[in-house]
Amino acid sequence: MSLRGVWQLKKLVVSFCDWGGSSRGIRAFMESELPAFIEKNPQLEVVTELNRGYHPLLKGFYKNKNERVVCVKNMTQEDVLQCASRLRNSQGRKVLKLKTRHVTKHPSVQGTWSTDLKIAN
Amino acid sequence: MANRRCFQTLTRCLQSIRTLTPISESLAPYTAPALNQTLAATSPNYIFANKFNAYQRAAVPARSFCSRHTDSDDDEEDDYDSGEEEEDYSENEENSSNLSAEEKEKEANEIGYTVLGPLQISDRVFKLYEPVFAVVQIGSHQFKVSNGDTIYTERLKHCDVNDKLVLNKVLMLGSLTQTIIGRPILPEAAVHAVVEEHALDAKVIIFKKKRRKNYRRTKGHRQELTKLRITDIQGIEKQENTMPLPPTKKEKAEKKVAMEA
Repeated sequence: MSLRGVWQLKKLVVSFCDWGGSSRGIRAFMESELPAFIEKNPQLEVVTELNRGYHPLLKGFYKNKNERVVCVKNMTQEDVLQCASRLRNSQGRKVLKLKTRHVTKHPSVQGTWSTDLKIAN
Repeated sequence: MANRRCFQTLTRCLQSIRTLTPISESLAPYTAPALNQTLAATSPNYIFANKFNAYQRAAVPARSFCSRHTDSDDDEEDDYDSGEEEEDYSENEENSSNLSAEEKEKEANEIGYTVLGPLQISDRVFKLYEPVFAVVQIGSHQFKVSNGDTIYTERLKHCDVNDKLVLNKVLMLGSLTQTIIGRPILPEAAVHAVVEEHALDAKVIIFKKKRRKNYRRTKGHRQELTKLRITDIQGIEKQENTMPLPPTKKEKAEKKVAMEA
């Protein structure tokens, strides 16, 4: 994600377990698809962490000091890649229901319409 | 009856293997002319294998007591199913990401935008606000858009974050003094935008209930959205700012000096 051209995701932490079966997908992801992911995103700092005895996680650290933690236990490599891409594509905003689909600071160019507005013909 | 006959021949074959008698002798009165030909050519081991193949071809499909009527019905069903499968398969192929670049562009164009390319650091795309608006259509949604606005649309497939887009379906342009209305589209107008985000909306829970009928269903849904930031609107004359600018500090300092002197 980027706000006015500035990437919002600063760091991605890939924490996995050597022994556990729930980490199989993420281990496969680290062998096969993680290098390509790192190459495509040079602005991103990707760290792999060994966390034995825990389920695998993807942690994303954003510029607005927001952390998004996604548990990827028992997921396939493609699913893990999709999760990682989602973290990279999003801003760190809290996920709220959208109020409007059009956010603007200058709602009117030619003046706001009102019932007493008279257009000269 | 045909099944029973086949089973009999199969058991006879097995018996012949166990007792090591030549199969042709045991089967002579029952063999069809085709089978005779296969028998004649090959060695004893191969005869057995060929025999089995021949029998598999001759055997009726494993539906017992099937009449001609049901056979024809099954054939029709098979054709119908295969037709459907083919159509689905072709649709899936188109939906998959193995589209050529041209097809992607064509799809994108139909929705109402064109991908220009990734944003470069050297591009000064994010300008100050200009008092110009445009009514733009993406997919089935229309937005009244100005410079620096943010728009959330349905997920746009063929563009990545930090890509420049040109939205070419412009229905109306307007500035402080002029309004241009398209019928229905303005062909020479273009609105430039930058993709900021591909994200999921908040979860919406779809709850269905029929009272007193023991029916209750819960389903969660997150819509995939794309956030676009509008950077430039082209196709209309933008007025230069004719308002008198407030005096700069230097001019103020000069005035003061002049006053004192």
